[in-house]
Formats: sequence, C-alpha cells, structure tokens
Amino acid sequence: MARKDDILKSFLTHELLESKYDFRKEELPNTVREALNSDKPIIKAIALIVEGLDGTSPVTDSVLRNQVTQFLNEAL
Amino acid sequence: MIIRKIQIDNYLCYYDSNTFELSEGLNIILGENGEGKTKFFEAVDWLFNGENRELDMLVSAKKLNETEIGDSFRVRVSMTVEQYGEKSIITKSFLAKKEKANECSTSSFVIEGISENSSGERTQVDGQTLLDRIFPFQIRKYSMFKGEAELNIFESDSALANLINLFSEAKHYDKYSEKGTFLREKAEKAVEDSSKLDKKNESLYKKLEGEITLLEREKAKYLVHLNSTEEEIRKIEGNLQLAESHVSNADALGTLNKRIKEIEEKISHLTGRIDENYTTSLFDENWILVNFESFHKEFAEKVSAHSKTRREIQSEHDKQQGIKVGERKAKAELLNNAIPLPNNIPSKAIMEEMLNDEICKVCNREAKKGSEAYEFMMKRLKTYLESQVTEQNEPEKDEPLFKYDYTNRLDNLSISHEDNLKNLRLIRTKIKELFEFNDDRKKDIEELNEQLEKEKTEREKILGNSSIGAEKLSDVLKNYNAWQRDLKNRNQDQVDYTTKLKSLESELKAKKEEKDKIDTSSANSFLIKTRNILRDIETIFVDTKEKKFDEFIEKLQTKSNNFFKTINIDAFTGTIVFTRRNKINRTIVEVELQEDGRTFYKPNQSLLTSMHISILFAISELASEIKEENFPMIFDAPTSSFGEYKTAQFLNLIFETENQKILLIKDFLHTDKVTKTLSIKKEFENVRRNKAFWVKLERPFDPNNLKTINSQVITL
Repeated sequence: MARKDDILKSFLTHELLESKYDFRKEELPNTVREALNSDKPIIKAIALIVEGLDGTSPVTDSVLRNQVTQFLNEAL
Repeated sequence: MIIRKIQIDNYLCYYDSNTFELSEGLNIILGENGEGKTKFFEAVDWLFNGENRELDMLVSAKKLNETEIGDSFRVRVSMTVEQYGEKSIITKSFLAKKEKANECSTSSFVIEGISENSSGERTQVDGQTLLDRIFPFQIRKYSMFKGEAELNIFESDSALANLINLFSEAKHYDKYSEKGTFLREKAEKAVEDSSKLDKKNESLYKKLEGEITLLEREKAKYLVHLNSTEEEIRKIEGNLQLAESHVSNADALGTLNKRIKEIEEKISHLTGRIDENYTTSLFDENWILVNFESFHKEFAEKVSAHSKTRREIQSEHDKQQGIKVGERKAKAELLNNAIPLPNNIPSKAIMEEMLNDEICKVCNREAKKGSEAYEFMMKRLKTYLESQVTEQNEPEKDEPLFKYDYTNRLDNLSISHEDNLKNLRLIRTKIKELFEFNDDRKKDIEELNEQLEKEKTEREKILGNSSIGAEKLSDVLKNYNAWQRDLKNRNQDQVDYTTKLKSLESELKAKKEEKDKIDTSSANSFLIKTRNILRDIETIFVDTKEKKFDEFIEKLQTKSNNFFKTINIDAFTGTIVFTRRNKINRTIVEVELQEDGRTFYKPNQSLLTSMHISILFAISELASEIKEENFPMIFDAPTSSFGEYKTAQFLNLIFETENQKILLIKDFLHTDKVTKTLSIKKEFENVRRNKAFWVKLERPFDPNNLKTINSQVITL
C-alpha cells in the first residue's frame, strides 16, 4: 500500500467521521484513488489534500487551497 | 552494517600503523587514562565529521620527530565496513610535510571510498557519498557518545523532532496539521469577508472580532504563565528531592513534610474561614444599624404625634363641613320641604327696577324706601346676589384638606421599621459571635503555627543530619524552606492559571459562537459549510499527528524500559517515562524516571547513565527496525560512574543486545604499586564479549614529551 494510502487511512479512522458524519467504517475508502471519487465532500477533500501533499506531483499552498475550497464550495 | 576494521596511522598517539580488527557484537577496548582510548574515539569521529582545519594538530609527534626535514608522511584513519554482503572502505587522510624541527605543513584531507562487491570486484567511489550512504549522518548522530554527559540526548529540545524524522512515520503528519490550519484560516477569512458585506451587524461583528483577538491574546499569555509555572514546579520539586537525598533519615523527613503540608493546609483552611470583611458587613449586613432602635423610637413618636395632629385637623375640618351641610339641610326644612323658588325669580334686572321705582311690581303695591316691602325686595336681591357668589365657591367645598397623604407613608415606614427591629436587635449578637469565632480561629491558627514551627525545626534537625559538607549543607538548609514556600505558591499559581484559562476558553467559545451566529445569518451558506468542513479536517489532522507522535513515544518508552530492566536487573525498579509537552511553537519530549508514579528528580549518575544508555539502545533498535539493518554504536567511557562490579554486570547484559558495540573503558586494569607495571585483572575473564583490545602506551615514555608517546594496540 502506498504511503499516501496509509496516511489517508489513518485520517479516516478519526472518530469524528463516525460520530459527527455517521460514516460506517466499512463504507470508507481504502485508497486515495477511491477517496477522490467519494460522494462525501469531507472524504474527497481529505483525499485532495493527501494527493496534493504526498501524491505524485506535490502542489503549492495556493494551488492546494484553490483545489480544496473550490471543490467544497461547489459540492456543498 | 558492521565495522570490520579501523586503521589509524600517525594520528596523534597512534604512531605508524595500528589496526583494530573488530567483531560483530560487543567489542571492548580497555585503556588507562591518557593511553589512547579517547584518541581512538576522536580518530573515528574525525573520519565521520572532521573539518579541514588545524590538521597539523592531529599529527603524531613521534612520527614527525623521526621524519627528516623536507620529507612527508600520511596521517590516515580508515574504516572497513560490511553491509548487505558488500565491503566498503572509507579512508580520510592528509599529507604532513616536515618543514623544520617540530613543525610541519599539511595538505587538505581527502576522503576516498572503495566499494567491493561479493565477488571481490573493487570500484573507487566518492568517500563522503559512500559514508553517507552506508552510515547516514542522522544515524551517526545517535551512534557515537563521548563520556556520560553526552548520553542524554533529550537535553536538546530538537531531539524529538530529529528522532521522529529518522524513525517515525509521524514526520509525514507534521505538514498535514500545518496545512489543515492554513486551509481553515483561509476559509474563516472568506466567511468573515462575506459577513462584513452585511452592514446590518457591522459594528457588533467588529466588536466581536476585537474581543476574540483580545481573549486569544490573553489565553496565550496565560498558557505561557502556566507552562513556566509548571516548569518551575518541576525544578523546585527536583531541588527539594536533591536536598532530601542528602539527608540520612529520608523516611522521617518524608513523614515530616507530609505533616507540615497538612498543618499548612489546615492553616490555610482556617484562614479562609476567618471573615474579617467588616466593611461589607457594616453596610450589606446592616451592622451600621446596631444602635438604630433609639432613633427609631424618636422617629416613631414624632410620626405618631404628627399623625394625631393631622387627624385632629382633619376632624375639625370635617366638622365644619358637616355644619355647612347641616345648615343647608335646615334651610331646606324651613320651607317644609317644599321646593323653594329659584333665586332668580324675579330677575336681578326686574328687582333693581322695582327698587328703583319703589313699587313691587309682583303685587302691584307701593314700596317706599325704608318701608317693609322695600326692605323685603332689597333682601331678596341680596340673597340672589349671594346665591350667585355661593354657586361659584361651591365646587371648592369638596377639595380634601390634605392633597397628599405623606402622613400615611410615614406611618407605614414606622411600622416596617418596627418589624425590622426584631432582626436589628440580633445584629449585636451576630457581631459578638463573629468576633468570638474569628478570635477562636486565630487562636487555632496560632497554635498550628507553633506546631508548624516545631515541625520545621524538627525537619531542620533531620536536614542537619546530612551526608554533605557543612558549607553546602547551610546552602541547602537556607534554600529548603524557601523552596517549600515557593512550591506552595507556585502550586497555587498553577490552580489560578488553570481556572483563568478555563474561564477564558469558555468566554472565547461563547464569543465565537456569537460570531458564528452572525456568520450564519450574513455570510454565504456554501462558505460557511466549507469552513465547517475545513474546521473538522484541521481537527482530524492535528489529532492524528498527535496520535502518531504519542505512538512513537510509547514505542520508544516500552523499548527503553525493556533495556532499562535488563541493565538494572535486581536494582532500581523505576520506570522511564516520556512526556510530550506542547510548547508555544513546538512539541518537545521530557524524559524522567518515576517510581510508583512519583517523579525521581535527581537520580545518581550511575542510574542516569543506565537510563540514557537504555534509551540509546532503544533508539538503535528502532533504527534497526525502520532501516531494516543494524548500526554500530561507539561509546567512550560511558560507565565511569558505575564502578567495576556494575560495569562487568552491565557489559554482560549488553553482550546480549543485537547490534555491534564498541566500548572504551578504563576498568579491569591494575597498576602494580611497586613496579608500576600495568596488567589486566582476572575479573575481566568473566566479562562476556566478542572481542577485546588493550590500548597501552609503549614504555618507557615521558608524559611531558609527546615525541615519546606511542599507543600500542594489543588484541586480547
């Protein structure tokens, strides 16, 4: 498993996702690729950040910000 | 990685060529002070980290002395290592040219590397690159230690960050918490900007922003106070423990300290119960009215007299009114209750005309002036005119005598005072009781203070029975009570700061919620939703990072304690505890020894060394796990505080640990008092090791003449 997937998984095991967002463990994605296709905005946003920081081509702060906020502003 | 061989040529006391053929596992290099142990360590350190300056200081004086002026020789330290079945040789050397007696010039150093694969094929490579590849710089940092003091790597605040960078996946999470905060802050800003467009709440919003900034600043200030107070508390506790360690009767001291603490707590409790806030009682509890009763009596009498006078006046008035009413009634009765004619018949003008003409035009008779008929008409006119005046005054008849009833209010006030008198009469008793209570408590406190003084004198006696010199002892005594006082004060500060922080946090929370409310009504909803999600993401990132840090620290702690138990078998049974502390801009780790959950502040050097070596072995084991290979560790005199017996025990125990270790120690050597000859003690035969060397100066030598110094390497 790639490091970025490990990182993503450790974020997705945070209890907030279960307690506040009602996500069940079994419906959580295992890889960044899966998470990028998630229909749950917070999961996809985390995946965007992981891909931006530990993906194949890391991005700058402003690009990361644009990607994440643009996605969230449109999705919500 | 294993160091197979170290060769030192013409480096300080190592004259000519000297080879250490090392083994896997434990290598012990014995040597008396000043005979070459530390120079061995320094030679290896120079190979790893040495700089290109003052190289002439590294030249063997004996070699230089033997060299002809104008001739050159090489100063060299070389290491042969084995890694993944391949052999590498790294050599650092420079040329020394003798210019005149005792003086030489030197070239710059060169680092050469030779890589030899399993089939014996050799390739020349860059020495520095090879060194950094097989034995990375960061790992070298945790591989070489000179003396006992260097073993404490957590002296440095950056130690945790370094270790995490090297050995923990936690390092990947650092940037996430940073970026999480960055994204959240930007999203907050977007919401704020959007909210500010709504002019409706502009001033309230600005006010809230200002208050939040102030509260956050205040919170940061108190966090700094709390942090430094906690640090101070630890320092004071450490000082006290050190002072106590000098005392022979430590148990008795412990009991006394406990008793002193209890007495101090009692005093503090009693002082808290003494209420001498008499000014407040004077006004709030109405004590000022303690002598009110006589004033009230005078007041009540005046009110009563006044009320009586008023009633009398009122009664007289009512009587007059009654008479008037009676008169009106009597007049009415005179007419036999017949309804009288109206006063205006005949009219005023006719009456005046008739009087003027002296004729009664009603009965048509003469009515001369002065006659009865004339007088009758005149009376009628007068009655009529009076009736007109009376009619105008009549409404005034109903006006009350006293427009406002202040007397009634005064009466009520007097009655209510009368009711209160019962309570006011009790004040005198209350004051008396309070004064008695306070006096009694003061007496109790006085007694406790006497007891406290006695206990403190007793404590000083115990402290006096100490194992340290009189001069140092007086310092300890002087400070001991002051430290105890400081500790009490700092503990109180800690409680105060924590309470203040809690209240600031709840205030901050309330303000933020208020601001969020305005945001919800003013800002674009998608911006708010984005911000809320980014807030959660930041929480997730920060928590995960802390979790990873804690996991790493926990792992390090478990490993360290495993080694610690092994090294200290049958001895101290305490535990090494790693505590993560969040400073303003960074996270640091503090390491301490605990015994039954109580911090052991000032362990002796030998215990401290055991602890530090255990941590280093734990780090080494972590490095082995992460990098999937072992790295050697080189220690110069790590156990000088141990004594020979404990050193032997220690060596036997670390013999069991996996990676290669090179230990330079001065134990197990014996100098004959008569012949001055050096020999190795029999006890060393029982020390388990993989290989041992003895570095020993060639005899005879003159300690004041470096030209006679030559360390020989004897493989045992």
